[in-house]
Amino acid sequence: MRVTLARPPSTRGRPRGERALPYLLVLPTLVLIGALALLPLLYGVWLSFGRWDLLSGQGLRVGTLENYARLLQDSDFWRAFVRTLWWTLGTVAFQVIVGLGLALLLNRPTFVAEKVSALILLPWVTPFVVIVYAWLLLLDGSGGVTGRVLAALNLPPLSPLASPLSAFVTVTLISGWKGTPFMVIALLAALKSIPAELYEAARVDGATPGQALRFVTLPLLRNTLVVTGLILGILAFYNFDLPWLMTAGGPGEATTLIGVAIYQTFFIDVQPTYAAAMGTVMLLVLLVLALLSLRLRRAT
Amino acid sequence: MRRKGRAAQFGWDLVTLLAAALFLLPVLWVVMSSFRPSPDVLGGPLLPTRLTLENYGSLARNAPFVTALQNSLLVGLCSALGALMLAVPTAYALTRLRFRGRELVGTLVLLTQMIPGIVIVIPLVVMMRSLGLTNSALGLILVHVVVSLPITVWLLRNYVEDVPVALEEAALVDGCTRLQSVSLVLLPLLYPAVAAVGTFAFVLSWGEYLLALSLTTTADHRTLPLAVQGLFSQFRQDWGLIMAGGVVIALPVALLFLLIRRFLVDGLVSGGVKG
Repeated sequence: MRVTLARPPSTRGRPRGERALPYLLVLPTLVLIGALALLPLLYGVWLSFGRWDLLSGQGLRVGTLENYARLLQDSDFWRAFVRTLWWTLGTVAFQVIVGLGLALLLNRPTFVAEKVSALILLPWVTPFVVIVYAWLLLLDGSGGVTGRVLAALNLPPLSPLASPLSAFVTVTLISGWKGTPFMVIALLAALKSIPAELYEAARVDGATPGQALRFVTLPLLRNTLVVTGLILGILAFYNFDLPWLMTAGGPGEATTLIGVAIYQTFFIDVQPTYAAAMGTVMLLVLLVLALLSLRLRRAT
Repeated sequence: MRRKGRAAQFGWDLVTLLAAALFLLPVLWVVMSSFRPSPDVLGGPLLPTRLTLENYGSLARNAPFVTALQNSLLVGLCSALGALMLAVPTAYALTRLRFRGRELVGTLVLLTQMIPGIVIVIPLVVMMRSLGLTNSALGLILVHVVVSLPITVWLLRNYVEDVPVALEEAALVDGCTRLQSVSLVLLPLLYPAVAAVGTFAFVLSWGEYLLALSLTTTADHRTLPLAVQGLFSQFRQDWGLIMAGGVVIALPVALLFLLIRRFLVDGLVSGGVKG
């Protein structure tokens, strides 16, 4: 009897138990993912077409577009949307630049480079809560490192989180910093896969190290940069933890990203269906990004 | 020439160390501050002159924090175990068995990975409330299992693929049942990977904030991230205590991650993951 596990021609003709086995194995996963990820997803879209005034005690009535009509005219929401795009762009730009620099430094077979490659992961694996308090302490305008620098320069004790623009820029940079290690490990993996002969050939052709970087390394890193940038961009676009814990969306609206806006609309303004409509708009953005990333991943 | 190359590498090593120190400064600062007397952390000399364990002592006496530590351990261990119990059979089926809808299941699991927490948190809270699963360890465990399932399935899939099919085929030819071939041949080879992936699932639950925040309203059910946030608002000035709390959350995560790094990095790079 010949038994093939990897690529049996088809499931037909095999005993019944054997045919059911794969389904039995994946069923629990599918049920749980279905119940706690896909169902909420669909339920959220359903809610977005409804009216549900929790305060008056009326139940949910679905079948209205009023949330979307309101959303279209909600300039706060669209400002948050544009802000989130800038945030995403800033985050990824930081990650590309700093990540590339660090990856090039770490792609050397020395003891120091190897040890540091492991430690560099720390910001990425450290939970947001800890990261946030670390930065709040460092950025404190009176006693933190920032405060000391300001005092040394004879400047008033101001935190960069106090004014809207500098708060937005600061939290965006922290967002970039937190995800940079992921970019570094992705780039290191890509760098290690570049054959040494290419550099050899470039050197024989008389290329300087700078030219080798520009004409050999960077073109070969392009795919990794694009795919990893996209993944990190998606993560940044939906981030809630960082702007919420760090500045609670403030000062004013400066760091109110869509994630924060959804949370506030649901938990503070208690408007579940309107928050669900915001979530549905975000979902559409995700759909576009997901299709794009699947396509890019297939292409690489 | 060689000597010159070595000198250059040494120079780059120095640059690397400097860059890394700058990059890791906030993390180092947390660790350093956690060992300083609280008044020194903000306002004392820049570098520590006195070190103390007092912050960790008061953390151990802080009842809400200790409760949260227990909750996080319970939720983290159970959700890691739950994720593995579901992910191992799923990963096996997806790599070793051909069946109708296999592609679909694989894509579905992968796409779940991309669903942002903030988008499903609202319907999830509504659903969990009506099921009476808010403020319960069970509710949070179930949700955390779903958070880590896609990535655990994805990582395990890579590892199962790396085990030669021939080994299992040989076992089948020798008269083993399929169950025996899996449990006697495949699983022992996968143990290190299963341990690494389970650790990763634990780490994801340990630091998860949004879902824990949204599904928990009472102090009895809080997990560590919420407890550290509680320290901040409760004792606004007590930076030493907050930093010690930060170390308690971050240290196990960092150590576990460094331990399983080699197992994870490749899979993460090819799979993409929640940060």
